[in-house]
Amino acid sequence: MSRPPTPAQPSARLAPIQRQARLRERLHPTHRNLRSELLATAAFLAPALALLAAFRLYPAAVSVAQSLQGGSLQAYRELFADTTFLKSVRVTLAYAAMASPATVAVSLLLALVLQGSGRVRSLVRTACFLPSTVSMSVVAVTWGMILDPHFGLANSVLSAVGLPRQLFLASPVQALQCLAALSVWRNAGYWMMFFLSGMEAVPKSVYEAAQLDGASPLQCAVTITVPLLAPTLGFVLVSNTVVNCLAFAPVFILTRGGPLGSTNVLMYEAYKSAFTYLDMPRSSAISTLVLAAVFALSFLELKLIQAGFGGDRQ
Amino acid sequence: MIGPNRIGASPLSRASLLAFRVAGYALVAALFLAPLAWVLASSLRRPGPLYQYASPLSWRLFIPDRPTLANFAHALTSLGMDRALRNTAFVAVTTALAGLVVNSMAGFALAALSFPGKNMVFAAVMVAFMAPFDAIVIPLHRAVSSMGLVNSWAALILPAVGNGMAIFLFRQFYHEYPKEILEAARVDGASWLRLFWQVVLPSSGPALAAAAVLIFMHQWNSLFWPLVAAYSEKYTMAQVIVASQIAVDGTRWASLFATSVLSSIPPMMLFFLLQKHYLRGIGGFGGN
Repeated sequence: MSRPPTPAQPSARLAPIQRQARLRERLHPTHRNLRSELLATAAFLAPALALLAAFRLYPAAVSVAQSLQGGSLQAYRELFADTTFLKSVRVTLAYAAMASPATVAVSLLLALVLQGSGRVRSLVRTACFLPSTVSMSVVAVTWGMILDPHFGLANSVLSAVGLPRQLFLASPVQALQCLAALSVWRNAGYWMMFFLSGMEAVPKSVYEAAQLDGASPLQCAVTITVPLLAPTLGFVLVSNTVVNCLAFAPVFILTRGGPLGSTNVLMYEAYKSAFTYLDMPRSSAISTLVLAAVFALSFLELKLIQAGFGGDRQ
Repeated sequence: MIGPNRIGASPLSRASLLAFRVAGYALVAALFLAPLAWVLASSLRRPGPLYQYASPLSWRLFIPDRPTLANFAHALTSLGMDRALRNTAFVAVTTALAGLVVNSMAGFALAALSFPGKNMVFAAVMVAFMAPFDAIVIPLHRAVSSMGLVNSWAALILPAVGNGMAIFLFRQFYHEYPKEILEAARVDGASWLRLFWQVVLPSSGPALAAAAVLIFMHQWNSLFWPLVAAYSEKYTMAQVIVASQIAVDGTRWASLFATSVLSSIPPMMLFFLLQKHYLRGIGGFGGN
């Protein structure tokens, strides 16, 4: 049943104008509304900020305060004259310098090889991710068995292919490298996901065009995918370096800092200072220094990423 | 991705390319799975020497002879793994649900609302994101005990609800959220809170999945904090039982393997379920 078009009611004619007015009001709130806007913002932020303040920021501040016992820098002065601490700094840097680039390289390579659809690739991706779902204690115990110098799987494989057996975790030279390898094995699949996610954002047409021009898969990867992944690459490298600077659990379970202090990373030294030497200022001072270094590093690298690759920030 | 330059290649070289590819995939999968498969096979084995099949190497390492579930039965009935799994599931699920609400709201405010001191708030979130947990355990324990929460569910759950990385993830996700939808709803007079609950949150699937995986796994695999914060048997968490099989006077290997496998299944299942969404949810990390 059709009705003749009725003349527009005054209210209906006014509606768009009222809408406009409301839009202006919402987008550029007047003084009265500003207060309710701020209240809403506070409601959004308060729960998270309260929890972070109580359970993260406050304890971190207490830790910094403890390192400055009585407002003195005594704990720090002692640290920088302490050869154990200085060696621990070198060990931590060496560990991060081995593990972080290796993890980024392996995870990027995995993502390049395993990107795309297909059941097989999806299964292999899941296989790569599984180690990162397993707890660190399980990972450490497993690798302890693999790297056992007498009966371990790694030495069996070496013998089987005719290579000399190794000491692995019992060697002052190899122990840190083994821990770095463990870290790559556990984390590569995790960070691979970030690269895969970044690759999904690259339009398919770019690849199609390159293929039409006769580019090989390798050329596509080097000239298209990797440059477009630069922001992801930066994020993964920073996060990885942070994680590796804070390494603790595998050292605690597998090597206890040895042999000969060759795996005595800073967070383990901080743990020993607190629980073995019962020297809280020393422990807090070490944690504070690690934290400061981690911040400086993250800040610097994030700035580099923004400057160098001009992400789409705001 | 086979370019036009390969179209003329002979069927033989194509077949060998495929074989090469499959072998490569199998090698990659084996490198990541073999250590886990060893643990799984060991958990199904009858009592015997730990390294029996590892040295010299035998295929029996991965396929146990006459498999048994006795180790699992022992873990569940005598080691308290049944209760520990229930406890851990309760703690991890509760933390993840509360964490999704709290962190998504904060991430939304940081991405879509304008307010004074926004950069300061964001900086505080990033500090919380990076503060190493191991370094703050002792002051955190003191803070929790001054609130009278030690040895309670709250001690296990509350400290992990606010998560700087999850807030960052949601912020990145909502940065991409279409502004027109928000403006249209605002014009119709919806309050920010209603808008968030009824419009924004239901369409945040990928970010919710990624944050849920993040928080759940963090809680499921935590060991150090449950040890100091909730030590009574009532609150025992799965990883505490796993770790307690490693003893100075000799590790109880069979129990260690069984508890390790039991404690690893739930996070793997969660990842399987949320895999697709997870991948899209972490997309914001590259964009900054």
